[in-house]
Amino acid sequence: MSTQAVADRALGPPRARRRGLPLGRWGLRGLAMVYLGCAIVLPLAAVLAKGFEGGLVHLKAALASPGAIDAIKLTLITAATAAIVNAVFGTLIAYALVRYRFPGRQLLSAIVDVPFAIPTLVTGVMLVALYGPASPVGGFLKDHGFQVAFAPLGILIALLFVTLPFVIRTVQPVLTELDIAEEEAAYSLGAGGWTTFRKVVLPALRPAIAAGTLLAFARAIGEFGAVVIIAGNITGKTLTAPVFIFQLASQFRPEDAAAVASILFILSFVIVLITDRLINRRGTKV
Amino acid sequence: MRSKTLKLMATLMAFGILSAACASNDGTSNNPQASGDNTDSGECQTPEVPTITFAAYSTPREVYGKIIPAFQTKWKEEHEDQQVIFQESYGGSTTQSQNVVNGFEADIVALSLAPDVDAIADAGLITHDWTSVADKGIVSSSVAVLDVRPGNPEGLQDWNDLTKDGLEILTPDPAASGGARWNIVAAYGAALNGYAGVDEGDTAGAQSLLEGIFGNVTVLDKSARDSIKNFEAGNGDVAITYENEIFTAQKAGLEDEMVIPPATVLIENPVAVVDANVDKHCVREVAEAFVEYLHTDEAKELYTTVGFLRSTDAKEAAKGDGDQFAPIEHLFTVDDLGGWDSITEDVFGEPDGIFTKAFAAVQG
Repeated sequence: MSTQAVADRALGPPRARRRGLPLGRWGLRGLAMVYLGCAIVLPLAAVLAKGFEGGLVHLKAALASPGAIDAIKLTLITAATAAIVNAVFGTLIAYALVRYRFPGRQLLSAIVDVPFAIPTLVTGVMLVALYGPASPVGGFLKDHGFQVAFAPLGILIALLFVTLPFVIRTVQPVLTELDIAEEEAAYSLGAGGWTTFRKVVLPALRPAIAAGTLLAFARAIGEFGAVVIIAGNITGKTLTAPVFIFQLASQFRPEDAAAVASILFILSFVIVLITDRLINRRGTKV
Repeated sequence: MRSKTLKLMATLMAFGILSAACASNDGTSNNPQASGDNTDSGECQTPEVPTITFAAYSTPREVYGKIIPAFQTKWKEEHEDQQVIFQESYGGSTTQSQNVVNGFEADIVALSLAPDVDAIADAGLITHDWTSVADKGIVSSSVAVLDVRPGNPEGLQDWNDLTKDGLEILTPDPAASGGARWNIVAAYGAALNGYAGVDEGDTAGAQSLLEGIFGNVTVLDKSARDSIKNFEAGNGDVAITYENEIFTAQKAGLEDEMVIPPATVLIENPVAVVDANVDKHCVREVAEAFVEYLHTDEAKELYTTVGFLRSTDAKEAAKGDGDQFAPIEHLFTVDDLGGWDSITEDVFGEPDGIFTKAFAAVQG
């Protein structure tokens, strides 16, 4: 039920059954299980165990800290906003990249992956350099009523940056495989560009968009590096949940930190499950 | 099925737009207060509910969690029920300082060491002589000490014990953590004062002491608190850190043991009002009252009991209190070593600072 499974399903069923690797019927499955167990399940279990070792005591203690609820709210709101904005623009960018040939297309396609490659701390430093109130751009925006760095808007911009590739990279391959003849048929029947996109292209892309959006959302919930730099981390105002968790850990409260981390993790997990189910049902019905 | 998916997407969209509105509201509704459009009107009118943005280094969070409410109550009583809102931000001392220089509009900064405050002054944001207030702008102090395993199995007593072969030392990275400089200044000062097996005034001896210590450093953490956490996780034989950090760890139930070297440095933590920002927000009066409050006996009591911080007076601090704070044989201050300006040059200067050379030698 990993996020990868969601992505895989969004890309459609495998075209052909391949012969298995020569590891025997259970060899490969066992290897996959053990590896996943060690790399992902164990650390998660450790966090859950630590966070809930005394029942809800640690969670209550953590949530009683000043700014705790605000931090979780802020994280959910900014992450959801970033995911949705990127769902719209990511889909449009993917469409432009696949359906049009223009100079600089290759370059644009490469730029899409940049957020994956840059350490997020560097992203934060970069964004502060650009949008900090002391910089020309940040100063101009601020004079016009938009404080970016050290304000919620800055957090949103950081999240937009780090989650940009998700929707594009899940939508792009589906779009590439989509038969262009369907679109051409729509055109020849007199449908306009927008109608064609809405009635023909979009329905086919919907699972991929949903999967990409949810991956982006899950990623945004956990973003730390870029946010810790640009947010200013004011308790109750620009302190996000991951930074709050980090601060709890720094205060020798690892159990409280684990409890809040578990909440975020469970939330992401539920979201992934919902997408998974959504895409699954669609896959079997259509 | 398709319509259901559509509905879900629509709901998500609506949620997003709604929350976007919320988010931008958060940003702008606070703006008149935070960015202080009052400057346009010429005359500075203190807002009805003054809001102070307070940027501090991470360690004293617990202390300010007590001091700020105490100040708010006091202010309310003395100013016709006026409420003061504090927006608190905690982070690494040097990071906070850099953020303020980059436009984070903190009205008051509480940092780990004076050069971080000076950086803000150099950027033109602090225009008054912040060392001219009570206690020279220092509100709390501690000492650099060694954090060892229970029972001190390595028998560490002094700075030169840290140079012995095979010892594993944790200390924050002086390049990343301004606070890490305290640890280096402690060993350096001890050596120059004729302790730690070095003759008084022997700078070459001080350099080889630093070389010996940093030759054994296995982890350069990004902050003092990270060093302790790392040490607690089982890494290393000793962490160089501050006394108050060990007390905090012990209070949290960790089994850290403290060794105070015979000679060490008094760590002095400054607080300053950021002139440019208080004037922009029209909160100078409240901000200055808060900083004054930090120098009262009432606040000092909280620094000691909650933050485990020593007296800001070097002589008092060296004596200890006969209870939790042990006396220290030779406690020196940064001023005793010629002040931060000369230390920054002599110890950390490129390429001829003593630490710079020692560190380069170790990295080979």
